[in-house]
Amino acid sequence: MAAEESTLHLEELRRLRSMAQHPRIINLLSSEISSLEQDQSPPPQEARTAAEEANQKYYENRLNYIGTLDNPYPHESSVSRTISEYVKEYEGLLKDQRGVHLEDITESLAGMVMKQRSSGPGCFFYDLCGNGARVQIYASASNSELDESEFLRVHSNVKRGDIVNVTGFPGKTKSGQISIFARSFVVLAPCLHMMPVVNPMKTEGTDWSPGRPRNPETYSLKDQVETPILNTVAGGATARPFITKHNELNMQLYMRIAPKLYLKQLVVGGIERVFEISKQFRNEGIDLTHNPEFTTCEFYQAYADYTRMMELTEEMLSGMVKELTGGYKIMYHSNGLDQDPIEIDFTPPFRRIDMIEELNNLANLNINPEDLFSEEANNELKIACSMYGIQCPPPETTTRLLDKLVGHFLEEQCVNPTFIINHPEIMSPLAKWHRSRPGLTERFELFVNKHELCNGYTELNNPIVQRQRFANQLKDRQSGDDEAMPLDEGFCRALEYGLPPTGGVGIGIDRLCMLLTDSLNIKEVIPFPTMKPQDQPSARPS
Amino acid sequence: MDAVRLWSLSSSHPLKQLIRTTTTRLVIRCCSSSSTRTAPKPGGRGRRLSTSTSTSDKDAVRAIRLNKVQELRSKGLEPYAYSWERTHSANQLQDIYKHLGNGEESKPENDGVSIAGRIVARRAFGKLAFLTLRDDSGTIQLYCEKERLADDQFDQLKSLVDIGDIVGATGSIKRTEKGELSVYVNSFAVLTKSLLPLPDKYHGLTDVDKRYRQRYVDMIANPEVADVFRKRAKVVSEIRKTVESFGFIEVETPVLQGAAGGAEARPFVTYHNSLGRDLYLRIATELHLKRMLVGGFEKVYEIGRIFRNEGISTRHNPEFTTIEMYEAYSDYESMMNMTEEIVTRCALAVHGKLTLDYQGVEIYLERPWRRETMHNLVKEATGITFNELGNDLQVAKEVTLKNLGADLDYKYKSSIEACSSIGHLLNEVFEIVVEPKLVQPTFVLDYPIEISPLAKPHRRHAGLTERFELFICGRELANAFSELTDPMDQRRRLEEQVRQHNEKRAAAISGIDSAEDKREETDESYEVTLDDDFLTALEYGMPPASGMGLGIDRLVMLLTNSASIRDVIAFPVLKIQQQ
Repeated sequence: MAAEESTLHLEELRRLRSMAQHPRIINLLSSEISSLEQDQSPPPQEARTAAEEANQKYYENRLNYIGTLDNPYPHESSVSRTISEYVKEYEGLLKDQRGVHLEDITESLAGMVMKQRSSGPGCFFYDLCGNGARVQIYASASNSELDESEFLRVHSNVKRGDIVNVTGFPGKTKSGQISIFARSFVVLAPCLHMMPVVNPMKTEGTDWSPGRPRNPETYSLKDQVETPILNTVAGGATARPFITKHNELNMQLYMRIAPKLYLKQLVVGGIERVFEISKQFRNEGIDLTHNPEFTTCEFYQAYADYTRMMELTEEMLSGMVKELTGGYKIMYHSNGLDQDPIEIDFTPPFRRIDMIEELNNLANLNINPEDLFSEEANNELKIACSMYGIQCPPPETTTRLLDKLVGHFLEEQCVNPTFIINHPEIMSPLAKWHRSRPGLTERFELFVNKHELCNGYTELNNPIVQRQRFANQLKDRQSGDDEAMPLDEGFCRALEYGLPPTGGVGIGIDRLCMLLTDSLNIKEVIPFPTMKPQDQPSARPS
Repeated sequence: MDAVRLWSLSSSHPLKQLIRTTTTRLVIRCCSSSSTRTAPKPGGRGRRLSTSTSTSDKDAVRAIRLNKVQELRSKGLEPYAYSWERTHSANQLQDIYKHLGNGEESKPENDGVSIAGRIVARRAFGKLAFLTLRDDSGTIQLYCEKERLADDQFDQLKSLVDIGDIVGATGSIKRTEKGELSVYVNSFAVLTKSLLPLPDKYHGLTDVDKRYRQRYVDMIANPEVADVFRKRAKVVSEIRKTVESFGFIEVETPVLQGAAGGAEARPFVTYHNSLGRDLYLRIATELHLKRMLVGGFEKVYEIGRIFRNEGISTRHNPEFTTIEMYEAYSDYESMMNMTEEIVTRCALAVHGKLTLDYQGVEIYLERPWRRETMHNLVKEATGITFNELGNDLQVAKEVTLKNLGADLDYKYKSSIEACSSIGHLLNEVFEIVVEPKLVQPTFVLDYPIEISPLAKPHRRHAGLTERFELFICGRELANAFSELTDPMDQRRRLEEQVRQHNEKRAAAISGIDSAEDKREETDESYEVTLDDDFLTALEYGMPPASGMGLGIDRLVMLLTNSASIRDVIAFPVLKIQQQ
């Protein structure tokens, strides 16, 4: 092994060891590290500047701190209004008043902590920022639901960049500052890196807050953004990417298979509601519902979860059908144009099927989602597949076997719009673990006419768990599944700065167009679909 | 935890596999060959050779400060403290005590304060020292007198505290005779010893590379960055609204194509596994949008990503966004109006006015914009009347070179020498002399036919085409033609383009063979193929039409006063990280 390469391995191993919790893993890693270190003479020293060391130290301290918490990335968040709405409302209501408290009113806000100060152990002030607005949080032990020592423990560990949720009553401080007086104060996503100070050199005045546009009223809440198609890692979904090469930079590039990881980085950057309607590229076969390039709409909303996103999806799709057809029901020639059409009913709410529960019922299985990573579970699924005559082309990974079973038993029932929900962790590396059911995630897929139309999650925002999930994906890659997700270091790093609890959805626009135009072939809704070259009519049997 | 289960159950050596498969990623991510090669100094601390020129200065500073760390520790003081109880921020103090008169001191017993922050300035005299402390609210002075401080604290302050250190201090409040509000220090502690000198602008994120690689941090730290992307969303949405209000329909044409046409540029190549063929990433949306016209659409547009396998600069990113629009039964005059409409509406949406500042220059977008032919602009700038030069290319070149003067840059001289036609020569002179001067919005009209293979011949002037480009700030923003609809003429021109390209390519390849150049590929080494399918479409008959392409990134640069294209693309393509 070349020296450079093993240095890289060493770094990676050390990083993994710093994350590992199980003693056996730590031992394994340690022995591997020491054997690698002996291979290298002289041993390479960590080459770091003092600033990098300071950053690393900070990061490690933060990791240690969140290690002491039961759940540093809670699922629940509640927001009664946006910060700018809040400020507008109570600036108006409390005009020219000082030192007033409206204790009968309860409001909930969420955002990023930018400034913090304390006047003694029982009293903390924060600037809470979100989508261009800011407000002061006044947190005192006397208003808090917590006892004094717990209050101090929570607040002395709040760092700039943390995403927090605060519930309390509105009012103004004695100096006339509009504030929310906190009764409860919850960190939703801790920032693990030093958040740089807002650059004061270029702002007008010192009162800037992240993301504040100069003319807030001229901007809509949701921002359409554009993220790159050419990536150094193809992440955000499980699919084989197209590969190309940039000549001058001599760099291999992948075409994106999903914009997800970039959009989530923009949420980290403070754009709380983003969407992108754009092309995705997957190096896969062509059939009635697949074209190598296709169009999706992905949207993300901070402080929302998958339940909210399911409601939004329902609203959007049923509303669209109503708008276009005048009713909620469409006719679709699902069995061919020479057969009678079937009726698809978009009347909300859509049916919801719990994936594992329903699969266990219908296939008479006994899948325990917590055991899915084991070889035994894999064997059981193999047996189940062969028992029901379900083909799973190799590699027979647990994920792929499950996918086949779900296709056979559940997707077949989904003619009217139906959400299949709560997928196991092993199938959903980017979704957050279920808040009450171990082994599952908060995820949904919407099926219409037995085809997947939407996919949504409560987004995973815990960087440590995210790295573990990527590590799990590696197992599938090793068993030959080149569609398993590769590690995206830049994305993990972004999560370490703190992604607020976020809900996200992706919708396939081409498939939606097919349904709404009664088209049976995706080629009907794409003006210039990818075709086999004419000079080689049977290019390659697949 | 699940990872644990995975590893312990896997039969073969799990770690080796784990690491092996990450190798490719790792190489991309930390291609730190330079540091691993240079770092190992036997026995020494392998500190990275910094990119900065002042590496040795930094090392010296660092060594001195490391000694101070030792000294603090030897006195039983921890140079990396765990916490500090603050009572106020600097700004709060400035606010609370703003009425304190010069030379006045608050009552020490009532007004004990505690503060912490980074030392950003320092002056020490015999028994007196002034430090400026900055926290994230602002700055305040520390007024340190030897008598006030316990034991040998004052000597420590003088010898062990440097600019850049994080310190905590307690004391009372005093405004100096000169009017500077200060903390009258009675005790202090080094909370963090800084080992390196601060960069000039230590506040905020100024590392350009990190700004692009970790855009989210950039957006949090630099407010105007997030602002640019909100404006970008606004611009794209305004363009859509404008063209849709004129009845244009949005369509999506393929990115992956069998032949990349519609412009002259090196394409990206990829491979489709199940089709078993190479595909090109589009370099323009032109040829497919024209097919839509053939198919019966009369007003279409596409806002889409374009890919060119070219270098990166402040004006070029390998992927960028354009709007192309085509309208049947109209000519390039009407597209000029459309272009004015789009750009002014976007400016109004973003700024509410039509006068903007771009990098210190006032740009006036009030309509109508200047419209002038390329011939006249060149004549205006150089005095050369290209119409009268005749058809002798050699003579024309001589006249041109004479006219442009002897002090013309060698680079330009050779590009003039290399011109293969009068049309190319005219364009070359235009690019050298006129382009940089087109600061205010200007439509340049009637390009030579040799450089406009997709534009219709001019209805009055032989050798020219009905084409315009829009220039603002010396930059091309839009390009439009009356579209060529004659399939025979189109075939001739595209074949000529392929022939010329192949000639250059052949020359370049033979050049490489003789020189054994290390760079295998040059600009022309890619293949250009004829898009026969497009020519077939024209043979079915395309209505007379005009079309326009506008670079959205450059428009956003203009409207957000951004100097680099990387400032308006959220995640620009970057070189592999060399850390």
